[in-house]
Amino acid sequence: MPADYDKGAYPEPPRQTPVVDKQTALPNPALILSKLFYYSVDLPVTTFRDAVDSIRAKNKIVYYHQKFRRVPDLTECKEGDYPCYYEAEMQWRRDYKVDQEIVKVIQERLRACQQREGHSYQQNCAKEIQQFNEVTKNFQSRCKY
Amino acid sequence: MVGTSVLRSVAAFAARLSPLKSGNTAANLLTRAIPRTDKVVVRWGHGKRLFVIKPSDYYDRRFLRLLQFYILLTGVPVAIVVTGVNIFIGEAELAEIPEGYEPEHWEYYKHPITRWITRNIYDSPVKDYEKMMAAIQIEKEKADMRLTQLEVRRHMRQQGDGPWFQVPTLNKELIDNSPKSSPDH
Repeated sequence: MPADYDKGAYPEPPRQTPVVDKQTALPNPALILSKLFYYSVDLPVTTFRDAVDSIRAKNKIVYYHQKFRRVPDLTECKEGDYPCYYEAEMQWRRDYKVDQEIVKVIQERLRACQQREGHSYQQNCAKEIQQFNEVTKNFQSRCKY
Repeated sequence: MVGTSVLRSVAAFAARLSPLKSGNTAANLLTRAIPRTDKVVVRWGHGKRLFVIKPSDYYDRRFLRLLQFYILLTGVPVAIVVTGVNIFIGEAELAEIPEGYEPEHWEYYKHPITRWITRNIYDSPVKDYEKMMAAIQIEKEKADMRLTQLEVRRHMRQQGDGPWFQVPTLNKELIDNSPKSSPDH
């Protein structure tokens, strides 16, 4: 199975399943539907995934994140040194892409927090909101074209 | 003659009554086809049987058939290959770069087909970067040379002691200085 998400950044809300207190002899439709879903969808999908994983286990390949060396910035280049300009430009573009992804992650966290908290998000997600404001302000000030 | 027609009609009546007996089939009943009222094929149980007159759809169907054929000709092998790769090889998983190990340029991609393409078909990104930097360097040198050439032109035109901008004039030695040697000639 693929790696699980960061449980610290996306905390699971406390479970609110009530204690089963069956007072009738009638069958519980929720239980029936959940079992139906399990046997018709969950189980086939899981077995298929396990089968494919066992086939794939023999040819496992890995990939890495590329680490780039830092090069002198545009401000540290001599005038007219176009290769230096090019390297600085490429480094700036890579940093811009990384910053965009960072902003996306922070946005995603804020969105998840709002979804979790519901109507009381403004006070419960204060940390995420503050983080988001800070990150977006920095991004705008640094990377505004 | 009357007797034969009577015989024929009696045979037809007998055939109609018991059609399944041998000798009563339509083909061999005295050279005249007898209408069989029990074995008429009923295809249209309801609705009126129509002979629809419409233009030929042969060309349209032929086009669709050929389209399907030519799309599937390469589509099916590609689908099989991609499905096989996804099932048997599968995508790569992210890992930390081990100490002292320099991954090859294709090991930075996830899907096995992308890895194959970058390994066998494309140049490595390092090579592309160097190619771009070389192109920039060449263009820079060309631009610098053009600027210096303009500078040199300007100097040579102004001062006139260089090889350029020399206008060929007559040889000084051809001038006859003899009338100038005496003042009142």
